[in-house]
Amino acid sequence: MMFRTTLGRALTCTLLGLTLATPLAHAADKVELTLYNGQHKEVGDELAKAFEAKTGIHVKVRKGSSNQLASQVVEEGDRSPADVIYTEESPPLNKLGEQGLLAKIDDATLNVLPKDYVAGNGTWMGVTARVRVVAYNPKLIDEKDLPKTVLDFAQPQWQGKVGFVPTSGAFQEQAVAIIKLHGMDAAEEWLTGLRAFGKVYSNNMVALKAVENGEVASVLVNNYYWFALQREKGQLDSKLHYFTGGDVGGLVTVSSAAALKSSKHPKEAQQLLAYMASEEGQRVITQTSAEYPLHKGMASDRGLKPFSELEPPKVTPADLGNAEEALELEREVGLN
Amino acid sequence: MTPSLSAPHPAASYIPRRKRPPLGVLLPVLLLVFLSALPLLYVIVKAWQAGWAEALHLLWRPYVFGLLRNTLALMVGVTLACGIIGLSLAWLLERSNLPGRRLWGVILCLPFAVPAFVSSFTWVSLSAQFEGLGGAILVMTLSKYPLIFLPVAATLRNLDPSLEESARTLGQNRWGVFFRVTLPLLWPSLLAGSLLIALHMLVEFGALSIIGLQTFTTAIYQQFELEFSNANAAMLSAVLLALCLILLWLELRVRGKGRHVRTGQGAARQAEQVRLGPWAVLGQVYCLALTIIGSGIPLGMLVYWLAVGTSAAFPVGEISEALLSSLALSLGGAALCLVLAVPVGLLVVRYKGRLALWAERLPYLLHALPGLVIALSLVYFALHYVPALYQTSGLLLIAYALLFLPLAQAPVRTALNKAAPQLEEAARTLGASSFSAFCRVTLPIIFPALGAAFALVFLDAMKELTATLLLSPTGLNTLATAVWAHTSNVEFAAAAPYAALLIVVSGLPVYLLTTRMYLSR
Repeated sequence: MMFRTTLGRALTCTLLGLTLATPLAHAADKVELTLYNGQHKEVGDELAKAFEAKTGIHVKVRKGSSNQLASQVVEEGDRSPADVIYTEESPPLNKLGEQGLLAKIDDATLNVLPKDYVAGNGTWMGVTARVRVVAYNPKLIDEKDLPKTVLDFAQPQWQGKVGFVPTSGAFQEQAVAIIKLHGMDAAEEWLTGLRAFGKVYSNNMVALKAVENGEVASVLVNNYYWFALQREKGQLDSKLHYFTGGDVGGLVTVSSAAALKSSKHPKEAQQLLAYMASEEGQRVITQTSAEYPLHKGMASDRGLKPFSELEPPKVTPADLGNAEEALELEREVGLN
Repeated sequence: MTPSLSAPHPAASYIPRRKRPPLGVLLPVLLLVFLSALPLLYVIVKAWQAGWAEALHLLWRPYVFGLLRNTLALMVGVTLACGIIGLSLAWLLERSNLPGRRLWGVILCLPFAVPAFVSSFTWVSLSAQFEGLGGAILVMTLSKYPLIFLPVAATLRNLDPSLEESARTLGQNRWGVFFRVTLPLLWPSLLAGSLLIALHMLVEFGALSIIGLQTFTTAIYQQFELEFSNANAAMLSAVLLALCLILLWLELRVRGKGRHVRTGQGAARQAEQVRLGPWAVLGQVYCLALTIIGSGIPLGMLVYWLAVGTSAAFPVGEISEALLSSLALSLGGAALCLVLAVPVGLLVVRYKGRLALWAERLPYLLHALPGLVIALSLVYFALHYVPALYQTSGLLLIAYALLFLPLAQAPVRTALNKAAPQLEEAARTLGASSFSAFCRVTLPIIFPALGAAFALVFLDAMKELTATLLLSPTGLNTLATAVWAHTSNVEFAAAAPYAALLIVVSGLPVYLLTTRMYLSR
């Protein structure tokens, strides 16, 4: 303890001047929220802007990957500077919920969302839904030649023709879904096959652009990346293929948000969550990223295949748990 | 315990034989030594927490072997290619009669103006063919060869031609002279440059993550993204640290061997120039080709994306905010470096001893360590022991100081060597306190060196990426992190303005500084 305090004082004193020299943007008396944003940068930024315009509460956004930010919150514990965490997928928040780091979300907020996409204990909520798809380039492959099930991509005939992003949370969710539906051996076989025959990409946008540019015939991604690229480029060569019949390739996952128990501004944190679940907040988010709004009765206006027409497997976010086994499995087969 | 009792000869206490350094010197140095040990402590603590069995399990697996293979292949490939290009260019521009060689000398150092992660983004944006090991070797070679070319060219220029002439009179042909006389004379600068490049390859992050080559450094970042702070990242860091230390040890050995002695200054004259004759055309083509792929493509692609970028949004507010953060952080980092470099310099110059030796060497050791590992260890220790510093610019500035101190150390020490301590002592006898004597006597003498040191650190800090990514306060973007963030989302047009600003603000001054240092005659 001695060590900690003296060291702390010495360091703090040495650096006080320097720290003060850096811009202190906002006055201390005004409430300011810190959002750990594992979602896309633009989504977090637009949301923060819209929320501030409506409530006058400034939101500082720290961008990171969802898994990283969640583990960061665990490491930070009570001292976490974050008030709200917004992730690409539910498993990281499930993990935080299990560890008792999340505050219960107001019922009024949870009530506007479907029960299936909200944590049983009310510690996190789904914000938007997205569906796993295959983006393919028709110049390189015909849609009818794509496999009926995503499991078949692990076969040798797909050598060099399929790309995937093992570090993406959604990919890991898909691996967990395979564990739940087909067992651990099937999941391991799938990952081993993909590692042997597929091409690894560092993130989903890189993977999608590789398909668009004809470098690889198909990639496993989330639907909205394609719409983001389409918005940027206008016309796309690549197309989306949706798996049907409840195949695990068509898994529906949710981006999620939660308030931290350690937040110093619990009221405002709940206010932000309520805004994210509200029709207005959901419109801001789904306008920026082409995802399905979860607010009851709302539909996307971005030309997506209607949510009701999807045929996802029967796996809920609760089934996916904290997805740690996927990371373990990936390590075992040597993917990271 | 009064002073008069413990000092029988009062006069001796004014000029003691072996002075103890004053607290003002000692404290910053001890702080530095402590901070420098953090990366090692981090690895040890994490390995301890995981247990040795688990640590070994994390290390001994195919994934790690793959990383090792990639890292070594890149390191060897780039170093060799840089050696060949650097040596041939240096010979061509210093020892042949190639027309326009001075101009070529300036042009061929242009890659120095472009940070490696910027040039790699331009290559990848040209074609995905440049992703992977081959592309990485190409891009890194093109951005690093000046590190061999410049020192070798400088050595060649200053060689006493009489050595080579003697060898010729003893019957050696040109090739014989080159391999038996010239090359051995060039070895030290060639090896030093090669080791520097090899070290850069071990710790390079931005460029390789954009090119998509997994090395230890990029893998550590990936582990950070997956789990923030984990045993896995720490174990990979341990391997990386070991590799860096091996290289550093090699470098120390190479640096220690100065076998070539000459008496007298030799005649200050130019070595004989080789007439290229018709080969000159080939020489021109070689230089032109290097220029095109070395700077033409990166700068051309950047201009292209800038032009295209007008169609994309051009967020003036965000860009100027990033520019301001970059400037503020780099200025702060440079200032902190000076605050630490002066006590270290004083200790080394005026209070020689074991501590001084360590304080002098440690920063060089740190300079060889990956910024990523330093940042990871700072995150860990700040969070657990000094939460007040966590996610503040202060912590980031500490990282900058650790990363860039050697740049400030060399000029400051040289200047302090010239500032005689007797002057300060004279001021003390006139009643000035030691601090005020230092400020009023020594400081003005070393002021120009401080300026140079400040500039060097500032310019390098502008390009820093990894520590900034991990440590920066919430919501803060710098030019470098903005380039990286946009590029990793394949938004080349959006990255272009940040990259261009980075080149203008830090690349060009670095380029001018270095080329002037080596190429001035």
